[in-house]
Amino acid sequence: MTCSRARKWIALHAGGDLHSRRARRLETHLRKCAGCRAELEEHKSILDAVRGIAGRETLDWSETEWKSLMAQTTRKRPEAVRLPPLAAFPKRAWAYGSAVLLLAGISALILRALISPPAPLPVSEKMPPTPLPSSRPLPGWTAASAAPARDLPFRIPSEQKAIARTAMAARPADGKPAQDVLSLTLVSQETGLRVHWTFNRNFEWEEKRR
Amino acid sequence: MDDKESRLVELVLSGRKEAFEPLVSPYRSLLLTLAFRLSRNVEDAKEISQETLMRAFRYLGSFDRKRSFKNWLLQIEMNVWRGRGARTWDERTLHELATRDAADGPEEKLAEAEVRRKLLACLQGLSPREREVFLLRDIEGRSIKETAEVLRLSSLSIRVHLSKARGKIRMLVKERFPGLMGEGR
Repeated sequence: MTCSRARKWIALHAGGDLHSRRARRLETHLRKCAGCRAELEEHKSILDAVRGIAGRETLDWSETEWKSLMAQTTRKRPEAVRLPPLAAFPKRAWAYGSAVLLLAGISALILRALISPPAPLPVSEKMPPTPLPSSRPLPGWTAASAAPARDLPFRIPSEQKAIARTAMAARPADGKPAQDVLSLTLVSQETGLRVHWTFNRNFEWEEKRR
Repeated sequence: MDDKESRLVELVLSGRKEAFEPLVSPYRSLLLTLAFRLSRNVEDAKEISQETLMRAFRYLGSFDRKRSFKNWLLQIEMNVWRGRGARTWDERTLHELATRDAADGPEEKLAEAEVRRKLLACLQGLSPREREVFLLRDIEGRSIKETAEVLRLSSLSIRVHLSKARGKIRMLVKERFPGLMGEGR
């Protein structure tokens, strides 16, 4: 313990008003520090002097004065008990009220989270997984097969159908495609989502090897 | 509050006014002396004590019987004193006090009165709250808990005020009256 800390406690210790644990710590310090011991002695001396002098000055009423005072004091009746407006509430009513309000707020938040519908997902999460390219050879590309089925959930843009028809028409007699890259764009009729597929020559060659 | 006091309170509240005197009689000197220590004036002390007893009688119905009756009276007296402005003592009051007993006494009383005057001059350096705490704890001998109950403060707050009050008095005595400590013993 430092002397500055000890000096904060010495005044209380002089009158025996320090908590026992602190008093023990202070006593340990006082055994080692002569300066703090001297300060404690000064405090005790002054307290003794004040108590000694004050203890000798006591006043009292004379009997005549006292009788007169009692007669004057008890002239009226004591007032009936009147509780202040808030006295009917328990002493910690404000604490109980705050706790109830806090619990109500938390309950409202939980209920709202349970009852309200989930937030709409972003568009990107609605996309179906990208289909893997088929390992089978492409079916025969004819104008009829390129036409969209009526029950498909998407449509093929008209210009793309025209390109596909042109590509099929330009196909040579040996059955090999006349172009290196074939692209296909699918547009969802419900959401307007566009999916772009691209097939290249290498992919077909490998398929054919199977 | 003991059973006797509780019975006396019941009697007063039931209309037996004469039961008030035995109820407050054990504290009549205590109230007057404390009022004097606060105000340092006999006439003021009598007025404060009288007002205290009148309030005690008037509001006896609201007294909580689980509490100490003495502490309740002291609390009323502190409130009365504060309501009167909690004045600090002037030099005239100190002189009057110092010579009150000495005027018709022997030489020793003159010396004692001088010591008392010097000590009271040191108490004047305290704030009203510090003086209340100091008087109740160090002069009236109330415990920390009782002092806290009378002044309606926490025990921690009482300790803080008490520590400050004792520290101030020590400094004042050392500065102004270095020989006083030996005289007071």
